[in-house]
Amino acid sequence: MNVDPLVNESPEPIVSDASETPTRHRSWLGAVWRSRNGRIGLIIVAIVLIGAACGLAGLTPYPPDLQNPNVVLKGVSFAHLFGTDQFGRDVFSETLQGLGVSLEIAALSVLIAGAIGSLGGIVAGFLGKWTSAVIMRATDMMFAIPTVLFALAIVTALGPSIVDSSIAIGVGWIPIYVRVVRSPVLALRESDFVRAGRVLGFSRARLLFRHILPSVTGVIAVQTSLALAWAILAEAGLSFLGLGPPPPTASLGEMVSSSSSLVNIAWWTLVGPSLIIVVAVVGFNFLGDGLRDASDPRTRTQ
Amino acid sequence: MTVLSTIVRRLLSTLVTLLGVSIIIFIVLRLLPGNAVTASLGVSEGLLTHAQVAALDRYYGVGQPAVQQYFSWLHATLTGNLGVSLVSRESVSTLIGTALPVTLELAFFAMLVGVVLGVGVGMFSALHPGRWQDDLGQFVSVVGLAIPSFILGTVLVTYMSFHFHYFPSSLTFVGLFTNPWLNFQQIIFPALVLSLGIAAAILRTTRAAVLEVSNLNFARTALGKGVSRRAFIWRHLFLNALTAVVTMSGIQLGYLLGGTVIIEQIFILPGLGRLLITSINNRDFPVVQSVILIFAAGFVIVNMLVDVFYTSIDPRTRKR
Repeated sequence: MNVDPLVNESPEPIVSDASETPTRHRSWLGAVWRSRNGRIGLIIVAIVLIGAACGLAGLTPYPPDLQNPNVVLKGVSFAHLFGTDQFGRDVFSETLQGLGVSLEIAALSVLIAGAIGSLGGIVAGFLGKWTSAVIMRATDMMFAIPTVLFALAIVTALGPSIVDSSIAIGVGWIPIYVRVVRSPVLALRESDFVRAGRVLGFSRARLLFRHILPSVTGVIAVQTSLALAWAILAEAGLSFLGLGPPPPTASLGEMVSSSSSLVNIAWWTLVGPSLIIVVAVVGFNFLGDGLRDASDPRTRTQ
Repeated sequence: MTVLSTIVRRLLSTLVTLLGVSIIIFIVLRLLPGNAVTASLGVSEGLLTHAQVAALDRYYGVGQPAVQQYFSWLHATLTGNLGVSLVSRESVSTLIGTALPVTLELAFFAMLVGVVLGVGVGMFSALHPGRWQDDLGQFVSVVGLAIPSFILGTVLVTYMSFHFHYFPSSLTFVGLFTNPWLNFQQIIFPALVLSLGIAAAILRTTRAAVLEVSNLNFARTALGKGVSRRAFIWRHLFLNALTAVVTMSGIQLGYLLGGTVIIEQIFILPGLGRLLITSINNRDFPVVQSVILIFAAGFVIVNMLVDVFYTSIDPRTRKR
């Protein structure tokens, strides 16, 4: 669980420059596609999302919990892409379902972190000294507790369920959003177009949501992609420890942990879910890089 | 501003942060579960001695309003009363006292391997940008960041025990001073698994920092005036990149502490992480609260030391 937020923070605020009109008329999708990392990320993430949607909708090759005594512990084949487990269940179908659960939790937790954190960051950057000081102090304190431990503490307090896991994972990521969003807002507050708006007598709310928020969506998008990668890892870690949502909702981490006793006779039961975790994490990381390339003209040439 | 006053200021702000951390932990683990905590106390009350019940009452400030509960807890903690385990009926400080050295040793070895590997490979790839050495570094960092330690750990444990019949952790854990060699065998594999992720992050930081420094004017000047390659690499590039590397190492410690929880579970090491997970599963609230407090305090203090360290090595951070 070593996804590091600070590595991904560029030294200067990433602000999609409003004066750069050429970027306006092409879609962000196209801009992401133009960078190599973004292309790789988009393809992987699209595949992962389709897989997760199939898992959640029940569109799997076999029903995930269908036990078939005739195909117990069969290896990888065309009929069973990831083999079968000790009950003859299709590991690929189980993995798709697990991916669905994992992504559901990851998305919910990033939604929590992103909504609260971005709002905190914008407010801390835009409003006066005192509000800013209070928010940043609180952020520092939350930052001082390692995110995984934060999640463990909240799981202890709330108990395991999909929503509780999401809260546990999301809360620890709030301070990262606050920090990443605040610095470009600080810069934007003094920019010409915001000053002009202030002179024209626009309300604070209008300045915030019509002028500043659109300019930091790039930063938020980058951070969201990276946060999703981290949340998938964190969720897998929690459920690996047996602190994820209770059965029968098996997520990927729980599949890894339950396959560890089988791995010597049926390696595929471990490799299937592990592979999907790694692929999903790599995909969201690449997408984050691509989004950054797209929103930051300086790195686009790389 | 002198080094000393910077350090004093940093100490004070660390104290404030620690207080804040304790409030957050109090809210999450005492106020949020509220009745669950008192209920768990009630269940085990018959099993504990009178002195233990009294200690727990002081620890939790049972029957007082929330704010007083907090101060009661703070006072108890600062005077060394970390509560009593509701399951093993031992004092939490005893439990932590036996578990902490294991985690410290694991974290130390993981950090050591991670820093050496990360700085080594990071320098190696930064000195050959765009060549195969650089690709190697990129590969290590992508693999290290993408493969979760619990997958790597699970693979390593099963593979070693099955193919080599070698699984030192299946024996009872021995302390560093009882049997150093067996202890080393038991610690080194979990430490290696943990170190990979740290190495990857430090590698990326080292590479970026060295590349940035090598583009600055003074680097060109140094080369131009004929500084030897070795002196150039270590005195001019490495020393200037060091602050970034040290900062990243401090941050990685947070991930390391989170990582030990999972790795200790896989490798069955009786450290703080394993204690934490067992206690979470048993809803043994006093242990959970104290262990998380210790972890967080350790993280805060190490990061303060990191700050103090680079104030003393890097003159640029002093004036302000």
